[in-house]
Amino acid sequence: MSEPHERRIGDILLELKDVSMRFGKVRALEGVNLTIRKGEIHSVIGPNGAGKTVMMNVVSGLYRPQRGEIYYKGQKINHLRPYERAGIGIARTFQKVEVFGGMTVLDNIRLGRHIHLKSGIVGGAFYLGRTAREEIEHRTFIEEEIIDFLEIEQLRHKPVGMLPYGLQKRVELGRALALEPELLILDEPLAGLNLEETEDMARFIIDINEERRWRVTCLLVEHDMGVVMDLSDRVFVLNFGNMIMDGTPAEVQNSPEVIKAYLGEEELYATRG
Amino acid sequence: MSTTFLPCGTYHQNYSQDHAWWQTRFIKAKMALLFLILFGLIPWQADSYWLSVCNQIGYTVLGALGVQLLIGFCGQVTLGHAAFIAVGAYTSTLLILEFPWPAVLLEWGLAYPVSILIAAVIAGFWSVLFGLPSAKVKGFYLILTTMAAQFITVDFIISQYISQIGGRGQAFSLPPGTIKIGPWVVDSDLKVYLLMLVLVIISIIGVVNLLRSRVGRAWVAIRDNDISAEVMGINVVKYKLYAFFVAGFIGGLAGAFWISNLAAISPEHFQWFWSLWLVGVILIGGVGSIHGAIFGSVFMVVVMELLQLAIMPLADSFPKLLMDFLFIKEAVFGLAICAFMIFEPNGLAYRWWQMKNYFNLWPFSY
Repeated sequence: MSEPHERRIGDILLELKDVSMRFGKVRALEGVNLTIRKGEIHSVIGPNGAGKTVMMNVVSGLYRPQRGEIYYKGQKINHLRPYERAGIGIARTFQKVEVFGGMTVLDNIRLGRHIHLKSGIVGGAFYLGRTAREEIEHRTFIEEEIIDFLEIEQLRHKPVGMLPYGLQKRVELGRALALEPELLILDEPLAGLNLEETEDMARFIIDINEERRWRVTCLLVEHDMGVVMDLSDRVFVLNFGNMIMDGTPAEVQNSPEVIKAYLGEEELYATRG
Repeated sequence: MSTTFLPCGTYHQNYSQDHAWWQTRFIKAKMALLFLILFGLIPWQADSYWLSVCNQIGYTVLGALGVQLLIGFCGQVTLGHAAFIAVGAYTSTLLILEFPWPAVLLEWGLAYPVSILIAAVIAGFWSVLFGLPSAKVKGFYLILTTMAAQFITVDFIISQYISQIGGRGQAFSLPPGTIKIGPWVVDSDLKVYLLMLVLVIISIIGVVNLLRSRVGRAWVAIRDNDISAEVMGINVVKYKLYAFFVAGFIGGLAGAFWISNLAAISPEHFQWFWSLWLVGVILIGGVGSIHGAIFGSVFMVVVMELLQLAIMPLADSFPKLLMDFLFIKEAVFGLAICAFMIFEPNGLAYRWWQMKNYFNLWPFSY
């Protein structure tokens, strides 16, 4: 945690070009352009129903936009299915936690290792040699890198469905981290958390982004303006599917358009509590 | 898949201990005792009647294991599992009866074992074929497509076409001596029992191992939340089809095994009610648990046998009871499911889990 802050913003990692997505006559996204550079925390804000989650679903592949292109590391990825996008390093968490409720914490995180494991149906049935070995190797990784990092040691054998909401969110983050992604989409990671949990989660996000071990680029959707303005390198503002602006937190806070659409005239964007 | 608590004062030193099946000396002793009873006590002490009851249990376990895998672990509700058991049984029978085996293989008694394997693989692929709709539909709609598997396979293809092969009419009979493994002719309840044990144990080991490795976790993930499973990098359709394959494979094993116990097989052995029965077995035993498939099978078979034993003495005074036994059996089946749904929706396996935890944590249960 006390590693030196040497943040490097690198090349373009993800690029949305003129992306439009419609559901019937509802225009959820209209010609959205977004550029995310390696190492950034890039936030997306906007009022409810602005299309933020649709945008995340477009990036992770759950929705296919009718128009526009998505580039990841210079490759066009429009045609890739969600599981293929996970394979090339895009992980995400969900606004409403989507953990595997019947599995233990450990199994949830182990599941995140899916793309890094190799055993198939025959190897799994016999559980000899490579399968057993790789289970141990990845267990070591999970324990040392993720469970320790997120401080959930005492929970590892608990079914996730029985945990409180804040811890479920933490497990979900752990599961996404287990993929060792390069781009992590965080869809409202702070929604429904109390003050202390919010602080912990914000700390985790900073660590994931800054620590040499992880260096994960984050695409963050969040309503908590205090956190957004403190954490983000750039902020993208969306309103009814249209991009209003994309700039540094300071630029966004001072933009009259954004204030009109979302932030409000008064000083309302202080952190809760 | 919640794990059982370890007894007080038991600590693991490395991960492989925590990954092991039997983690304490007590459990190892318990399992050794179980194997002793299964292989040492029952075969030599039980009479032919109770051995046949055990065989019935084993057959039900094999069937229920596949259903458990699909419903309990992968969330794909199936009501057509008897079809895949039928495919296994018929493939094996036809291979034995009709296939021109080289004399060497016949001499060495390899025809039946080889046919079991082929039957299981074919049943697996047949199951995958009817699992294909699961790529697009879930829940109630999937139940209907799996029921279609039942009616297309058993009532149409097997009844109308397969059964007509060789002009035998409805049933295939297996001449004595054709079911043999090596020099070992499977011709008594005891031998069927031993064959059953071996197959059941192999299948359970296979499924449990799958469940604690990559494939099994993907199945459970699909059951719990298919959208996030896909986002986590799981090819959902592929893993659903894997589940159908393994379930069909074990179903095929069950069918191919069961012909050793039947003198003749006909489509009536694989009616739709048998599919429903297997689902009932796992509901009673506990959905999402291997113990559940076993306990449910033991419970259902034993209850039905006891029921029959109870009715026998009454039959002298009420002969109609005996005539209507089939209906009584179905009524009790329905009643048992209702009772379990109301009083113990988690099934027998959950009670077992609670009991183990109670004793493991005793005397400090907090």
